[in-house]
Amino acid sequence: MTLGYNEKLVLLTIAKLEKASVEEIVKETRLDQVAVMRAILTLEKEGLIKLHERKEKIIVLTDIGKEYSKIGLPEIRALRVLREKKKAYLDELKDVLREDELKAIVGILRREGLANVRKDEKGLVLEITEKGEKLGERPIDIALKLLSEKGEVSVDEISRIIDVKDLKRRKIAREDERVERTVEITEKGKKLVSKGIELKREVTRLTPELIASGKWREVELKPFNIKAPVKRIYPGKKQPYRVFLDKIRRRLIEMGFIEMTVDSLIETQFWNFDALFQPQNHPAREWTDTYQLKYPEKGYLPDESLVSRVKEAHERGLAGSRGWGYVWSPERAMLLMPRAHATALSARQLAKGIEIPGKYFTIQRVFRPDVLDRTHLIEFNQIDGFVAGEDLTFRHLLGILKRFAIEIAGAKKVKFFPDYYPFTEPSVQLSAYHPELGWVEFGGAGVFREEMTEALGIKVPVIAWGIGIDRLAMFKLGIDDIRYLFSYDLRWLREAKLIW
Amino acid sequence: MPKFDVSKSDLERLVGRSFSLEEWEDLVLYAKCELDDVWEENGKVYFKLDSKDTNRPDLWSAEGVARQIRWALGLQSGLPEYEVKESDVVVYVDEKLKNVRPYGVYAIVEGLNLDEDSLSQMIQLQEKVALTFGRRRREVAIGIFDFEKVKPPIYYRAAEKTEKFVPLGFEEELTLEEILEKHEKGIEYGHLIKDKPHYPLLVDSEGNVLSMPPIINSELTGRVTTETKKVFIDVTGWDLKKVMLALNVMVTALAERGGKIRSVKVIYKDFEIVTPDLTPKRFEVELNYIRKLSGLDLKDEEIKELLERMMYSVELEDGKAKLLYPAFRDDIMHARDVLEDVLIAYGYNNIEPEEPKLAVQGRGDPFKDFEDAIRDLMVGFGLQEIMTFNLTNKEVQFKKMNIPEEEIVEIANPVSQRWSALRKWLLPSLMEFLSNNTHEEYPQRIFEVGLATLIDESRETKTISEPKLAVALAGSEYTFTNAKEILDSLMRHLGVEYEIEETEHGSFISGRVGKVLVNGKEVGIIGEIHPQVLENWNIEVPVVAFEIFLRPLYQP
Repeated sequence: MTLGYNEKLVLLTIAKLEKASVEEIVKETRLDQVAVMRAILTLEKEGLIKLHERKEKIIVLTDIGKEYSKIGLPEIRALRVLREKKKAYLDELKDVLREDELKAIVGILRREGLANVRKDEKGLVLEITEKGEKLGERPIDIALKLLSEKGEVSVDEISRIIDVKDLKRRKIAREDERVERTVEITEKGKKLVSKGIELKREVTRLTPELIASGKWREVELKPFNIKAPVKRIYPGKKQPYRVFLDKIRRRLIEMGFIEMTVDSLIETQFWNFDALFQPQNHPAREWTDTYQLKYPEKGYLPDESLVSRVKEAHERGLAGSRGWGYVWSPERAMLLMPRAHATALSARQLAKGIEIPGKYFTIQRVFRPDVLDRTHLIEFNQIDGFVAGEDLTFRHLLGILKRFAIEIAGAKKVKFFPDYYPFTEPSVQLSAYHPELGWVEFGGAGVFREEMTEALGIKVPVIAWGIGIDRLAMFKLGIDDIRYLFSYDLRWLREAKLIW
Repeated sequence: MPKFDVSKSDLERLVGRSFSLEEWEDLVLYAKCELDDVWEENGKVYFKLDSKDTNRPDLWSAEGVARQIRWALGLQSGLPEYEVKESDVVVYVDEKLKNVRPYGVYAIVEGLNLDEDSLSQMIQLQEKVALTFGRRRREVAIGIFDFEKVKPPIYYRAAEKTEKFVPLGFEEELTLEEILEKHEKGIEYGHLIKDKPHYPLLVDSEGNVLSMPPIINSELTGRVTTETKKVFIDVTGWDLKKVMLALNVMVTALAERGGKIRSVKVIYKDFEIVTPDLTPKRFEVELNYIRKLSGLDLKDEEIKELLERMMYSVELEDGKAKLLYPAFRDDIMHARDVLEDVLIAYGYNNIEPEEPKLAVQGRGDPFKDFEDAIRDLMVGFGLQEIMTFNLTNKEVQFKKMNIPEEEIVEIANPVSQRWSALRKWLLPSLMEFLSNNTHEEYPQRIFEVGLATLIDESRETKTISEPKLAVALAGSEYTFTNAKEILDSLMRHLGVEYEIEETEHGSFISGRVGKVLVNGKEVGIIGEIHPQVLENWNIEVPVVAFEIFLRPLYQP
């Protein structure tokens, strides 16, 4: 324990006096009573001094006593008048005595033989006696003076002057109790003092002025209560779900994937569905399952040769397929919609041209006509992409999915299920065994149908994949309401734990 | 997608064997189903199966699933055979139905011995096929009738709306028009025929109504119970191939229960057909194609055996497999579809995953890196990043921001008006965020890097989604200066020269708002939010903000 300035000062004072009362220390150090007591308690706790406490009965003045010590006892005041006039009617004492004192004064003067009392037709006549003329200091006067000087006097001391009962009867004083504290230095204290204590001025703040002037050497920096609680502060932080997505993006780039981009959230049905070989009467394209725009309603189709290949794939089939066998409508394909899945970007990328072999990904905002609640979002982020290569096989598809499960979900085991997407065949659903969540549906994949890739001008197998990260993100973020991925709750964002 | 219920005991009766729950979980994979739920009711165990394939209605019933599992287990092999005997029943189709609901196909199944399980499967399959495969009855609607009560020949004709019959569940006759208004099914499906000049009606030789497709059966013939021994099936729609497939799915499912299929002659004005037609369909695949794309080293005979377990008949010839597949399927367009069946028969989980070794280098979009650098800087200013929705509405974008309405991207069929447009600027989203957090400690300092979607007629999608940065500071001590300090610091960090020019903008206080200009071009707006806007959002502290386009600030 480091001693503060006050403690050092008090210790040095005690060492000088060897044994002293608190009052003496206050006087000596010029610190206030509270500061001295605090220092004494600290020093005692450290075993540097010993504090003795002694309880003592004392006498103190009452309020009346305090008043009498200023203006004099009633009999003294009465005698002042009588000494001048020799005799006086009781009424004539009204100027110096209060009503209640007036009543009692006759008894007091007579009992102490200070005046004779008789009665005539005008009332009571008081006549001073010789004793009254010559009265000196009585014990009660000495006691009153002593009490008013000292404030408090021990019962022992006052009893040597007057019977305490007399004071109490006249309501001049009352009994009380006081604790007398004295301190003495211990051997440990002496040793510390003999080693030398440097006494410096104590300051709370290290100011620039102290540093610049070098005066910091002459002061003592007061210790802080380092355990005291502090105010909560809120740093600038990134949105936690976005941090989670950022992390997956970096991971995918490290895994050799190229990021795909697009300049609008709005897509033509052509890229959202038709280019993916999804027939125009597919249930997912119904009014209830697909948004359409009120404004702008239709966009443009890409270059004619691409459109005609897509049309042919749908109507009669490409690459050995018999197609869907219906009349494909370009008008329908022009309809605009908020992009419903990130696979639309894969279609655009394939049409634009790709590196072969090549691995591509995107993290895209997509939209679904749903009701926003604790398990459904109307707008969310999809992580999607593809791998294209000359000799890719279904086993590679499973290999890619398994790698995702290990790298991104931290899974130990995986399980595959047959699945269906209009644009892939064969199709797979991936379940990953997450150490804390158990089996989680983690992704879907498949080999893009040849009707699709052929129309887009790609001649090699293309493995399409998408990973579902929402449950994983919710686990990471410690939430069970999916809306918190796009939290509008500042408190939650401020308190959200770090993600890395 | 389609989910349906089956009882475990019924399924096991149809397969001919019992299995543990774990075994069932794996077995249903052969039928492209997932075991979604298991429960007990009246001492019986039920499964909810989730079929993964919207093009395989033959797999949406206990009969279909059990059939595929019998084959997968090798209890049966090759093409399933069904005997179809001709009946002398004829159905005449009225040509006036051409623009109403043109096609009807029919079959009779007799010798039925229905119990509760098989009856409920029949009804469920009928519903699921019409719902999912039939697009809510638009493309396929199915009626099943007690044939004992029907007197052939039968007529599928265009009827006047004033004709009457007693619909299922009613006691008195209603006109066809009344049925659309009063019957629960009429209300649900009436839109499919409402505006047609005639309504379709199926009647027998005595004029008794069987049904009004695709709405409702009659009370007289349309009630099928466990007592029913002989059913007449009617499938109507707009595409002959599609209604015939649905009919095949129904009759073969009943045949799995021992039903005997009888065909019906359907006479159209220009042609006649006999339905159902269970002639198997042909396809041909290269064995090397299967081998190469599967990545499995399969011998010809192995491929044959796997295909036979998926109900194909297989003839190997010159490295090809000549296939016949059942008439209840119509989903094989390409060799890929056959490949998937081979892989399912092999078992996805019996295949060793292999990571492809590709010499490729990953790379991110550099603009995203630029955005990240800006986000880092904003965090450095002590701002909390938020991520909000692009979906919003015109009131939030304009009215609440105290500015006149403009054309923005709007959704024609929103689920809720609250989410009926795409935002053209971000600040309203930030105001909405602040409005949601008025009880939280101030100051509140937030930002978002997100997209604003604008109309651009010249583009393919007539729109462009521009990356923007929006910053808002809310707190009693904030003034214009605080927003400008951040903007100024950002611009210095980017090495971009900018100017602020006085302007007027309804969202901001006059005299405390400016356009942000870079190279003389407007890239954003900065100012103190107008008290009227604060009031609109129930915010009681000053808010200062700016919003800028990021592309003009980007120098690769």
